[in-house]
Amino acid sequence: MEESRMNRAPSPLRTICALTRGYLPRVTQARGWVLAALALAPVGLAFAIHFTTSIIHHTEGVSPRLALDLFHGVLVRLMLPVMALVAAPAGIREDLEQRTLPLMLTRPASAWVLPFGKGVLWFGWGALWLLVSSFGLLLLGAEPQEAAFMALAVISAFWAMLAFMSLLGLQFKRGTLWGAIFLFIWDPLVRVMPGNLQRITFLHYIESIAGSRGAAVSKAQFLAQEQISTPWWIAALALFAFGALCWALCGRKLHATPIGLAGAEAEG
Amino acid sequence: MSPVLSLERASLRYGDILGLSPTTFELPDGGGITGLLGPNGAGKSTLIQLLSGLLPPSGGEVLVFGQAPFRNPAVLSRIGFVPEGDRFPAGLRADRWLKMMGELSGLSEPALSESIARAIATVGMEAHASKPFARMSKGMRQKIRLAQALLHEPQLLILDEPFNGVDPASRLELMALLRDLAAQGRRILVSSHILGEVAMLTDRILLLFRGRLLAEGSVPEIRELLDRHPVELRVGTEDAQAVASWAVAQEELVGLRMEEGATVLAVRNPRTFLPRLQTAMLSGRLPLRSLEPLDLNLDAVFRFLTKDNA
Repeated sequence: MEESRMNRAPSPLRTICALTRGYLPRVTQARGWVLAALALAPVGLAFAIHFTTSIIHHTEGVSPRLALDLFHGVLVRLMLPVMALVAAPAGIREDLEQRTLPLMLTRPASAWVLPFGKGVLWFGWGALWLLVSSFGLLLLGAEPQEAAFMALAVISAFWAMLAFMSLLGLQFKRGTLWGAIFLFIWDPLVRVMPGNLQRITFLHYIESIAGSRGAAVSKAQFLAQEQISTPWWIAALALFAFGALCWALCGRKLHATPIGLAGAEAEG
Repeated sequence: MSPVLSLERASLRYGDILGLSPTTFELPDGGGITGLLGPNGAGKSTLIQLLSGLLPPSGGEVLVFGQAPFRNPAVLSRIGFVPEGDRFPAGLRADRWLKMMGELSGLSEPALSESIARAIATVGMEAHASKPFARMSKGMRQKIRLAQALLHEPQLLILDEPFNGVDPASRLELMALLRDLAAQGRRILVSSHILGEVAMLTDRILLLFRGRLLAEGSVPEIRELLDRHPVELRVGTEDAQAVASWAVAQEELVGLRMEEGATVLAVRNPRTFLPRLQTAMLSGRLPLRSLEPLDLNLDAVFRFLTKDNA
């Protein structure tokens, strides 16, 4: 046997391509379609309701507020976090739970690439449907430029959220639970805390890119919190960098942690 | 000749629990099958995880092809590993998964397609490789797991309890396949808790118990060691007194007790004792109704070995 052949490990890029191709059928199975439905449901439903009412009441045109309310109230606050919580367990966490991870860890491919290699497929799939959903917002009255920023906001936030949830899934046994607590309790809680804490929520960066709902907030909804703003391009960069950092930490965790046949972290 | 693998006082702890006591041994280069024998919980999987690079040792040194295997691509590219259990990625087809595993092993086209076809043919799964894992039998999945370990033509093949849950026909096929691979010059390490299985396969055995390497030797040597363990046999008879009288004259007898309708004999070397018992029965001297071994499981044998023979 040739020595060169025996010692050849695949490059990180080839490892990512192999994992993406290998696991591609997974995104077209139940979990993948749930992810697509989560991204499309609010816009699709709103479009169906609007279309029906416009036929019944013989009205034309849509209020620009509909797209804005749908984006901020449903897509960002509910669907996007749920999408991250649905997609993350299908990443490297799935191999940990199915105990198939040892089969990959005993390959010459670098272990630190595996979490990203599995996650990027789910990111791509989710991002595709978020893009379609943002296009739907155009049909519901959003301005083209506004819709483009909305797409950028949700896709970059999905990147960061998915990476963060994957990290929690590798770090903790109940990673999904901690993720849900962060996304559904911490984010709203920050609204009653000192303003600068907004910077450690996903919501702040999404609103910095896509615009906040400041104009739509009534007097009764005002909190004694100063609105913190971040330029949109810094917000987008921050989400991208945070996601990249989380993927890197996932890789480091997997590379450094002995993971035995039981699929759990070994203490040896 | 440098060893394929060597352990120098290698040990592994899981927190407070000792998974493997400091162990020293080495496997020489060249083809052949080595059996890793021990009851459940003996430390076989722990040892295999050290050798396959899944876990680093807590103490001592593990070297495979002269290097530490943990997260070491240079070593991992020369090892094929088949872990225990019916583990497979849900929702995937076997051939697509094999392609991915081949790519993760550093293979690229056209060698990749050739390797996949060869590995599938080696395990005899040409007709079923395009099926999803969920629609395969356990034996088929085990063959596919073996195929993934063969893709990159490893020099060392490590199999953890490969015959568990596999039907007898598939078991024999797998054994024949492993013998063929060994004949081609591969070093194969197979763990099992069943002596008969290992004996059908290997020329060399490592005996593990409670995290300790008890013995290392050929199958006849290990068999001889095991034969020194007294085996309890319940002899069902209408004349227990006659059986007891005959048994006390036998040199293998180390214990005897009477039960209703039976005599329980504790004997060493059952392989020499039993033919004599059979002859006595056929000659009409002993009216036997039944013969039942009471503690032929490996646990009993290993407990005996650790008391005074280890």
